[in-house]
Amino acid sequence: MTTLRTATLRLFERLRDESGDDEGRFVVAPASMEEAAGLLDVAAAEGLTVRFRGGGTHSGIGNPVTADLVITTSRLSSIIDWSPGDLTAVVGAGLTVDELEATLAEHRQTAVLPETAPGATVGGILSAGMSGYRRLRHGPTRDRVLQVTMATGYGSVVTGGSLVVKSSTGYGVPRLAVGSLGSLGMIGVVALRLLSRPLASATVAVADAPAALSEVYRPIAVLETSEGSFCYLAGTEEQLAAQTAGLAADGVPGLAWPEPIDHPIRLSVRVPPAAVPETVSLVRELDPVRWVAEHGVGVVTVGFEELEDSLFGDLRSWAVSRTGSVVVLEGADFIGDGVDPWGKPPSSIEIQRRIKDSFDPSGICNPGILPGGL
Amino acid sequence: MDPAAELIDLLGASLVHTHPVDRLIYAKDSGVASGDPAIVVLPGSTEEVAAAVRIGVAAGMPIVARGAGTGLAGGAVPPPGSLLLVLTRMNEIHEVDEIGRTAWVGPGLVNLDLSEALADRGLEFAPDPASQQSSTIGGNVATNAGGPHCLAEGTTVAHILGVEMVTADGRIVILGGEAPDEPGYDLRGLIVGSEGTLGIVTRVLVRLIQRPPEIATMLIVFDDIHTAAQTVSDVIAAGLVPAALEMMDQPMIESVENFAHVGLPTDAAAVLIAEVVGTAEGTAVEAGEIREIADRNGAREIRTAATDEERALLWKGRKNAFGSIAQSAPDYYLSDTVVPRTRFVEVLDEIYAIAERDGLRLMNVFHAGDGNFHPLVSFDASEPGMTERVIGASHDMVLAAVAAGGTLSGEHGIGLEKRDLMHLVFTPQDLDAQARIRDAFDPEASLNPGKVLPDGARLSERPGR
Ligand SMILES: Cc1cc2nc3c(=O)[nH]c(=O)nc-3n(C[C@H](O)[C@H](O)[C@H](O)COP(=O)(O)OP(=O)(O)OC[C@H]3O[C@@H](n4cnc5c(N)ncnc54)[C@H](O)[C@@H]3O)c2cc1C
Repeated sequence: MTTLRTATLRLFERLRDESGDDEGRFVVAPASMEEAAGLLDVAAAEGLTVRFRGGGTHSGIGNPVTADLVITTSRLSSIIDWSPGDLTAVVGAGLTVDELEATLAEHRQTAVLPETAPGATVGGILSAGMSGYRRLRHGPTRDRVLQVTMATGYGSVVTGGSLVVKSSTGYGVPRLAVGSLGSLGMIGVVALRLLSRPLASATVAVADAPAALSEVYRPIAVLETSEGSFCYLAGTEEQLAAQTAGLAADGVPGLAWPEPIDHPIRLSVRVPPAAVPETVSLVRELDPVRWVAEHGVGVVTVGFEELEDSLFGDLRSWAVSRTGSVVVLEGADFIGDGVDPWGKPPSSIEIQRRIKDSFDPSGICNPGILPGGL
Repeated sequence: MDPAAELIDLLGASLVHTHPVDRLIYAKDSGVASGDPAIVVLPGSTEEVAAAVRIGVAAGMPIVARGAGTGLAGGAVPPPGSLLLVLTRMNEIHEVDEIGRTAWVGPGLVNLDLSEALADRGLEFAPDPASQQSSTIGGNVATNAGGPHCLAEGTTVAHILGVEMVTADGRIVILGGEAPDEPGYDLRGLIVGSEGTLGIVTRVLVRLIQRPPEIATMLIVFDDIHTAAQTVSDVIAAGLVPAALEMMDQPMIESVENFAHVGLPTDAAAVLIAEVVGTAEGTAVEAGEIREIADRNGAREIRTAATDEERALLWKGRKNAFGSIAQSAPDYYLSDTVVPRTRFVEVLDEIYAIAERDGLRLMNVFHAGDGNFHPLVSFDASEPGMTERVIGASHDMVLAAVAAGGTLSGEHGIGLEKRDLMHLVFTPQDLDAQARIRDAFDPEASLNPGKVLPDGARLSERPGR
């Protein structure tokens, strides 16, 4: 261990990331999982707190974290293995979603990662637990993560899951890693299940989103937004023609997703799908700049220039009364002092705490970022 | 007070069994290993499960959950002295949300009963293990069960939105729920596939899907098993996602046909059952593409089910595959491994070679579209040394799959059967991480001890920490 520590201390010098200095902090970019684990091992021994950075596009999520050290995945950013015939790909966490999707498109495949801001990395998306609008049809991102390799808070390289499309072999470590926001360690390598891109797709403006959801057979997405309601379809030309025939309006070819919501305050309201229509009316009363409601999924993303503390509180209480939550994705400070981005911790907080403690016994990985300050 | 007496106070004498005959009934699941529970109880509510867990833990007994006992990996085998919780009485459908397309159900609900209860609302629960007439939702959750229709829809984990469970210290927690993305770790995702080692599931929130307006089911007949397997690979590589893509080899076809009389060609080297679902337009196109690929690979015959009855008959054949074995030999050993789909043909050959080497009677039924093998050896356990030979050969088949980049289990789980093979696919550090998860849920290892993780999986803390 001592030799590893010495070597790692040397790495600290060598691995300074050229790609940018994060508010003047010490930024390092390991080039292998062993290096990442070595860094965490040293950090744990020295009591240095660590933040992980991918593309930095989701860094507003969770409780604010101050860290002594920033570890980036910028050097773990290649496509390690892509087997089009298996519809699986293994990639470095630092690979950007855009780059991955552009490559996969060569074989008409997709990882169905969220339609997100440019620069977002695969590791960042996974660790933030983000799913895209196609979730209605294709399920959340977590269902397509087959295998994850992490460098843990105790300085080990750990792989969970299997590189096959179906497995019941040991615990679902990848499912634990997805959405863990770097609180257990660094996600370095991931294996994803891919899908074929549809031959044709269409975006159809609809008057009544809930009606479209119940009438159309398995649309890709049904969105109600500040700019109108849309039903998204994919399949073959014949299929689309038949499906759009059932809707009042004609579609435009392609999936025209809403522009990303980019305002100082960004909320994710998560409710049972049946409660989306009611959530939409409540959200509208709060005078947001823009919003997108995912029917059938239960996520309403809302952007505000400003939002009064008490109105935010009312929205949150309402969501909680429907067994949901309101998560502040960006701008908790703009709502008010001491606004908790997560709200009340889940009933399983004791188990959550023990998980955190066993993967990050020294409490150095993104300390406090999760609900309940884990 | 002795735990049996406490449990009788809790549940009444008729739901607490300690008699050797009762204990024998529950000593095994459908795999080969057996155990011996000290007490078998049949709780009827979450509160009763929680109270029973507390009683068992206080008495220092291992606690094992059991659904229908159809598991094949020994997951529900009760160690000596254990308290076995049989959850089949908890089989209610508590509530169905037709708009949100979800339902809360009891863990003891039989899989098929759920889909049948929902049929008239146009909804279904996608995972359809071949055991769906008897296996329970709780067992499906615990093993992350698969089924023919998991090819397009994903295994059980993709259909479980939340669980209520009793923890090792007898508390009740809810993980996940109707609202997506509950803040915090996705503990729901850990419970699925945890084989009763992290908590006892007492209610399950399942995701339901729309029944398709159109279904096209084809039986594709081949004279060569390689071209059948190649057809599967080609269909997947073409980016088609049939709802199901199942394969049976000649010995299996013969066994099924003799048993179920569904009209399968017993001289064929292999058959594929391919099903596409969706709108009429979509299924027509996809079925056409599959037919074309099959033709290109030299399929001898392609039959399309013209009616629901014909479709049901085709599936009856497939779903009776295991049941049909009983008539040909007293015992069978069914294994479960997965390989990357591009390696399917190659591993198939190795599996046949192993059976031939050991002089065993091998039949195969595969979830071919997923690369999921179910090599099945039928034998007579009363022949001396036979069981060992069969297990040895199955072990070699697992090794062949792992060597091709596959893994130990696609859907049956690890249980006792493959616990000691976990090192084949995981490093000591990987297993240590899994042991940490287990310890976080169940620090005293009260729940289903000895399953999934091999002894000594938790590495000792590092010196100096
Ligand atoms: C003929 C046949 C065909 C089969 N076909 C398939 C198939 O196509 N696909 C497939 O995946 N499997 C198949 N299986 C295997 C088996 O049916 C599945 O593993 C099924 O999910 C087990 O359900 P069960 O209710 O019988 O569970 P059990 O066998 O009773 O238990 C299985 C495991 O789950 C745990 N468990 C059960 N209930 C709970 C609970 N409420 N909380 C926590 N843990 C619990 C047990 O402790 C055990 O570890 C087949 C088995 C047979 C005999």
